[in-house]
Amino acid sequence: MTRMTRREWIAAISAAPLLKGANAAPVAPVAINQCASYEEDVTAKLGVLFDRLGGLGSLVRGKTVTVKLNMTGSPAQRLQGLAPALTHYVHPKVVGGVAYHLGQAGARRIRFVESAWATAGPLEETMLDSGWNVRALQSAAAGVEFENTNALGKSKRYARFKVPGSAYMYPAYDLNRAFEDTDVFVSLAKLKNHATCGVTLSLKNCFGSLPASIYGDDAGVDEPNENPASGRGTVGHEGRRQPSKSAPQELRFGANRDPGYRVPRIVADLSAARPIHLAIVEGVESMAGGEGPWVQGVRTVKPGVLIAGLNPVCTDAVATAVMGYNPRAVRGTAPFQTCDNTMLLAEGRGAGAADLSRIDVRGVPIARALYRYDS
Amino acid sequence: MCVLACLALSGLAGGQAGVSPGLPKPADWVPARWPWSDAASLDLLAGGPINCLLVRPATAEFAAAAANRGLATLAIVVPGDDAPAAARRALAAKVTGIALEGDFSEAVAAEVRQSAGSAPVVELAPRSRMMANSAAAILATYQGVWPGLAVLEHVRAGPTGSAWIDTNTGFLRGVRASSDAPLWIANQPPARTVVTARRYLEAIADAGMSGARWVLALDQDFAARLARRDAQAVADWGRMLALAGYFERHPEWRGMLEYGKLALVQDPAKGGLLSGGILDMIAVKQTPVRPIPRQRLTPGALKDASLAVNLDADALTPEELAVLRDFTRSGGTLLTGPPGWKDQSPSGNAITLDQRELERLNDIWREVNSMVGRRNLGVRLFNAASMLSNFLISTDGRTAVLHLVNYSDYPVENVSVHFLGGYKRAALLAPGGVEKPLELYQTEDGWGADIDKVTVCASVRLEQ
Repeated sequence: MTRMTRREWIAAISAAPLLKGANAAPVAPVAINQCASYEEDVTAKLGVLFDRLGGLGSLVRGKTVTVKLNMTGSPAQRLQGLAPALTHYVHPKVVGGVAYHLGQAGARRIRFVESAWATAGPLEETMLDSGWNVRALQSAAAGVEFENTNALGKSKRYARFKVPGSAYMYPAYDLNRAFEDTDVFVSLAKLKNHATCGVTLSLKNCFGSLPASIYGDDAGVDEPNENPASGRGTVGHEGRRQPSKSAPQELRFGANRDPGYRVPRIVADLSAARPIHLAIVEGVESMAGGEGPWVQGVRTVKPGVLIAGLNPVCTDAVATAVMGYNPRAVRGTAPFQTCDNTMLLAEGRGAGAADLSRIDVRGVPIARALYRYDS
Repeated sequence: MCVLACLALSGLAGGQAGVSPGLPKPADWVPARWPWSDAASLDLLAGGPINCLLVRPATAEFAAAAANRGLATLAIVVPGDDAPAAARRALAAKVTGIALEGDFSEAVAAEVRQSAGSAPVVELAPRSRMMANSAAAILATYQGVWPGLAVLEHVRAGPTGSAWIDTNTGFLRGVRASSDAPLWIANQPPARTVVTARRYLEAIADAGMSGARWVLALDQDFAARLARRDAQAVADWGRMLALAGYFERHPEWRGMLEYGKLALVQDPAKGGLLSGGILDMIAVKQTPVRPIPRQRLTPGALKDASLAVNLDADALTPEELAVLRDFTRSGGTLLTGPPGWKDQSPSGNAITLDQRELERLNDIWREVNSMVGRRNLGVRLFNAASMLSNFLISTDGRTAVLHLVNYSDYPVENVSVHFLGGYKRAALLAPGGVEKPLELYQTEDGWGADIDKVTVCASVRLEQ
């Protein structure tokens, strides 16, 4: 098979057929900047990225900002002994840089959240277990907080997020209160493939918002298990059980147990139920072939890019193109060989357009940022 | 008569009886199996800590050459030899002593000791028998697991879990808690396996951080490369000597006490002799624990402890049970093994728990894990999944040392350590003479320090 040139690639993905409704979905600019390594001034590079979006001030000044990180899997699992931030976690330098710019833009409170793998302990401990310098993060800006959203955490009750319109999988989701007690919601993701969803970017990152206390393998049957110690395979991925009865139950339980069908739809539901205001995809160093070291055949990659946008679907569409894929590809086509395309499903929910021809890409052009994950 | 002979030899402990004046005393012996018998090979030891060579066969020329360099030699006698005669022949060649390696009957061992006269006999015994001669100058076994990250079979791919580390530390720490004698572990590299230099370093550190000495042993390939002075082999050998020397430069560490607010009461002659048991399970979770042999279970042994695990309640005497009762009455939490649980003893060549026992022990382990939770029981480590640690405290309580050994093939960066207690100074020590101060910062329950990088081994020294 002859490989397409960059020019042909851009032309092809721009001309790809649109799904019904794509024209109606909102769009927002997406910025790309190059950053070859974490030894560069990552904070300055992020500053350029945010400036290209018009700055963060109007979005965050005087507000509480919640940033969902990507720290998937146990921090003990490493690819070739590398720190997780060099492969499948967002890098703490990027996290610190984001905190700095949010602080400079006037954010009143910056709360980093993640449903840490198999624990309800403080998120700071998972960060330490990942080799992060928590004190440095705390000093990156005023008002930095951390919350492990895998259970109730510091709150007394869960917040319910109803899926507007007709939901794909669950009518609503019960999440940690941090997702509700915020003015601005940011998804800070890693540029990666995903074994179940093809790619995992700012949208898929939010699958990790689900608390294992309710959606975990060892979630309580009736009430949440506030000491979760496992993942979310049986509920979300496989549909072999319902979440705790305290939470809204799956609409058509047992109808489809294909993870490639289920997870993209849950993510699309979540994108509508808990909208993302700022999507950041970190691809300085990463892994290809899967979302974590537990996926067979993964390898390290150095795309050297930072991507951000004010619409998660647009941002993920651009990021997918940077990875060398057509963001409008359908099931059976790379990278969605065994799954549905999350971006198109989110687009169908009205969350944003995955149509590159409608997206204003600022800074480094896609063709120059292109880093083929399947090469 | 045999008992008298044993007691006589026990007088060697720390002494010089039967050892030429120019040689180090047995307690200070740093041993290695020496695969060569030419005097030139001794050049490899220059500048290193190794001062006791286990050799087979033992020749008079080699023994003399070694003695001239201040090195002790032990002739290895194994089952199948006419042990007493072999010992006599070796001693006639002027070796320093005998290394009786293998599963010998007590009668044969006694005969060898008698044949050796005042010369030291180090018994490299099976684990099940090593405590029998608890008055020995040196406690030693030839049985050990080969330390390193375990490759687990039949593990479903998924974003789970911690690595399991094959280690002798639980066994060594258990034995050390019940005896003051120097402790050697003389397991050899696995056969038909490529053994990297890194794995040798792990074996040295695994024993070293537990206060024991690994009897350094080289696989055939490495020995051949080293014999022809292959540059990489020489460099690796230098690293091995440097690491062994690191522990030898700090004899004070062997006099320190294991510390942790969690105490494990175990019979050192039973489950404590096995690897992969509860002590190793706790260690892999980075929880500091002090092993207490039930025979040394006193109120003093439980000082400062807040949690205790008593594995085999039926094995305790009424006096020992009373100590635990008082512990709980004074606010301590006690976890006992399930009814009917009997601590397994090693048998035959088995030195790890069998699958059935492992499953039973898992029940206890889950309870221990739940009891410990996220509590800081002396020290908490972060980003240390591929490491094991050992937390020691001086007898006056003013100095503590945390040993860290990394069993992965890669350096671990950015390790955070949170200590209980009011320490004023901290320093990071590493092989090669590295010593640098660490910044201490306050944490929720004490003090913290960050370590940039641990290659194979490092230690944090804390001072009040």
